[in-house]
Amino acid sequence: MSVDFLHPGEGAPIDTNVSALEMRGIGKRFPGVVALDNVDFTLEPGKIHALMGENGAGKSTLIKIMAGVYGKDAGTVRMRGREVDIKSPRDSLKEGIKVVFQEIALISEFTVAENIFLEGYPTGRTGSIDWKKIRAESAALFNRIGFNVDPAARTGSLPVSQQQMVEIARALAHEARVVVMDEPTSSLTPNEISLLFTVIRRLASLGIAVVYVSHKLDEVFEIADTVTVLRDGRHISTKPIGEHTNDTLIQDMIGRRIDNLFPRQRGAAGSKVALSVEKLSTAKKLIDVSFEARAGEVLGFFGLMGAGRTELAKAIVGYDPIISGTITVDGQRLAPHDTRTGVKLGIGLLTEDRKSEGLMGELPVYQNASLASLGAFARLGFVDKAKEHQAVQDYVDRFRIKTPSLFQQIKNLSGGNQQKVLISRWLMRGLKVIVVDEPTRGIDVGAKSEIFALIDRLAGEGLAVVMMTSEMPELLGLADRIAVMCEGRLTAVMSREEATQEKILNAAIG
Amino acid sequence: MSLASTASAKDQPSMLARLFARQELALLVCLVLVLAFFSATVENFFSVRNMTNVLGQASLALTAGIGCAIVFISGEVDISIGSLLATIALPLIIIMNDTNSLLLGVSGALLFGLIIGVVNGYLVAYAGINSLIVTLGTMFIMRGGVYLYTGQRAIPDDASLDSFIALSDGRLFNIIPYSAVIAIVLLAAFGYMMQHRPFGRQIYAVGGNQEVARLAGYDVRRVKFICFIISALLATVAGIILAARVGSAQHTAGLNFEFQVVAATVLGGVSLAGGIGSLTGMALGVLILQFLSNGLRGLGLPTEWQLVITGMIIIAAVAFDEAKRRRANGG
Ligand SMILES: Nc1ncnc2c1ncn2[C@@H]1O[C@H](COP(=O)(O)OP(=O)(O)OP(=O)(O)O)[C@@H](O)[C@H]1O
Ligand SMILES: [Mg+2]
Repeated sequence: MSVDFLHPGEGAPIDTNVSALEMRGIGKRFPGVVALDNVDFTLEPGKIHALMGENGAGKSTLIKIMAGVYGKDAGTVRMRGREVDIKSPRDSLKEGIKVVFQEIALISEFTVAENIFLEGYPTGRTGSIDWKKIRAESAALFNRIGFNVDPAARTGSLPVSQQQMVEIARALAHEARVVVMDEPTSSLTPNEISLLFTVIRRLASLGIAVVYVSHKLDEVFEIADTVTVLRDGRHISTKPIGEHTNDTLIQDMIGRRIDNLFPRQRGAAGSKVALSVEKLSTAKKLIDVSFEARAGEVLGFFGLMGAGRTELAKAIVGYDPIISGTITVDGQRLAPHDTRTGVKLGIGLLTEDRKSEGLMGELPVYQNASLASLGAFARLGFVDKAKEHQAVQDYVDRFRIKTPSLFQQIKNLSGGNQQKVLISRWLMRGLKVIVVDEPTRGIDVGAKSEIFALIDRLAGEGLAVVMMTSEMPELLGLADRIAVMCEGRLTAVMSREEATQEKILNAAIG
Repeated sequence: MSLASTASAKDQPSMLARLFARQELALLVCLVLVLAFFSATVENFFSVRNMTNVLGQASLALTAGIGCAIVFISGEVDISIGSLLATIALPLIIIMNDTNSLLLGVSGALLFGLIIGVVNGYLVAYAGINSLIVTLGTMFIMRGGVYLYTGQRAIPDDASLDSFIALSDGRLFNIIPYSAVIAIVLLAAFGYMMQHRPFGRQIYAVGGNQEVARLAGYDVRRVKFICFIISALLATVAGIILAARVGSAQHTAGLNFEFQVVAATVLGGVSLAGGIGSLTGMALGVLILQFLSNGLRGLGLPTEWQLVITGMIIIAAVAFDEAKRRRANGG
């Protein structure tokens, strides 16, 4: 009674008359937080069920209960009508629940192929691992999906987007009844997303129940059959997608309406050059990139995956080495080329890969936020804690960061709230140039509009904002000028007025 | 069909690349250099006799090193093995003296080792105590216990069983010491387990990222528990060979042995952070240090200098490893 994506037809067909998974009255509390309160959630075989809600609404918690990562405090779980007691990830895997987690969960030292078969190695008659089969099947799996990933690569050496594809492939490598994807597309390109959607539809056609979590409304309207919305840990609505419009969905999610996602308050940018990059090349990717960013402007960088935006972001703040070219921040050369000098000159990076490059999971929220600006709170070499806490509290209020206290370990915050803390880190620092790489990845609509407003305000206050994004609306809605990259080169720079979606895409293709 | 062939076509370069990346090749080159240097400078160094002698000496560290490396790979440490060497000699020798049976003596020793492994493993995996602290504790407790029990006098092996003595000076085909044969067989078996059995890969996964391993459905605690049992049992085997060699149970047996083993393991590229390294690397590390010490002695260098040189080599090797890893991870 389960189905294998790669070998359909081998398992018995799925009975579509009984719910694949039925969660009733689920409750879960963490110290200081009620993450879930009496939530019902039912999955039908062959249906794609979107799970939506603001950052911290409880989506990932619900999924982790399904997956056996957390125990539930209240409620029951039934699979195909039979009550089950899922105590560990192993129990959940046995029930055929396969989860693509929001935070990438792969062993970085292993090859891609091995990661895909981590939960159950195919073995030969003697019980030894059949490596040939592992390689062949993972290659076949990627072929089938259409993802371009090398199964022999060391997983840790791949960019986040490819790791995300590995995660997805892994959920499909074994028999499944329920496949859950928690923001699977946060670092995929439009092309890969459409491949993923094909896969999801195929899973559904095989009778598998799919849960799809995303903050991207257009994706949900495209793929989902049913939508469940959570808010503050409570179940708000479950409806067929046809009964929703953009507005009703947002209304359900945040309990209010958003009239204008891109409110523009700032005036025209000045003429003072805050950042000047000349003929920048790196060993890995960039070739002869030159541009300027002015104080008070938002300069948006667009490009397809592999275009080199992240590389550029890392190089101009001094994080990655360069082989030639100069970077000047506010009239001063960035030399030596390191982040210490960068921060001193006033340029900072908000990274796209928050887990491995930004967060200090074990440390509390306030330390994560104040990390880059301890100097500002120091008196005689000691950090003035009261001042530090006050400053962090200001940001927590301003961004509505959902955390029980400043002392909560940041790893316990929902993904979107972690991102907000990291943004605070750089804003607190008082920068001249801020480079943001995919600033709204994994952030809900409500918070997105706040972050857009904030970027607008930062530019209004005279910062130069360099924004790397793959979200076209974000680019067109926010940027004063748009730069487009393709394979490590800058292919076009245009003003907001002359930019069109078509022009941008043409330049991105090269 | 076509899929299978493309996959196996990729095997060749990736194997080679992995060998380079894993540093085993670099270690092999080091070992060859050490051998070449001393062959040129020390008389009789490169003789069958000396080579097999060194192999025999290395067999203790090779055997216990397997366990040490496995525990490292699981993300923990075990420094109780030196004391264990001395401790298990007590049941071994006492039972043999009483019963004249090697089998019973060895069984007693293994049972004792098993108990220590269970205690270490339980305290680390299930009680959640830091493994350095746990094994530091059992290290002291066992050493103290041996001192107390023996009153700091050796307990001689009175049974003098031929089979037991053969463990120290017997040689397969009159060439390779039995102790080295045992070490090589164990290395091959556990090396195979680590690379080709699901349990071996689980150990790597647990050491590589405990949370991910749990999400993949592994019983992380059980994996760690078993690693400590493996380590204790292998140290027991080393202890039996040592007891045969010295012909008694001695309170000072295996003193500082754990650090020799840890040094060789780290030199062999097995990371203390877990999830990285191989038994082949560990074995090469042991051999490099053993031949180095043998060669330096041949040159007439005092032991003190050997210690200094060993220390410098370990730091240099690990620093090199770290630099390489950083480069591989792109900054
Ligand atoms: N391990 C934990 N310890 C303490 N609090 C937690 C833990 N995990 C989640 N929480 C809290 O529970 C609430 C729900 O978090 P959850 O991760 O489920 O949100 P989410 O809907 O997935 O949000 P996002 O869209 O940002 O990913 C949040 O307030 C979060 O801070
Ligand atoms: Mg989440």
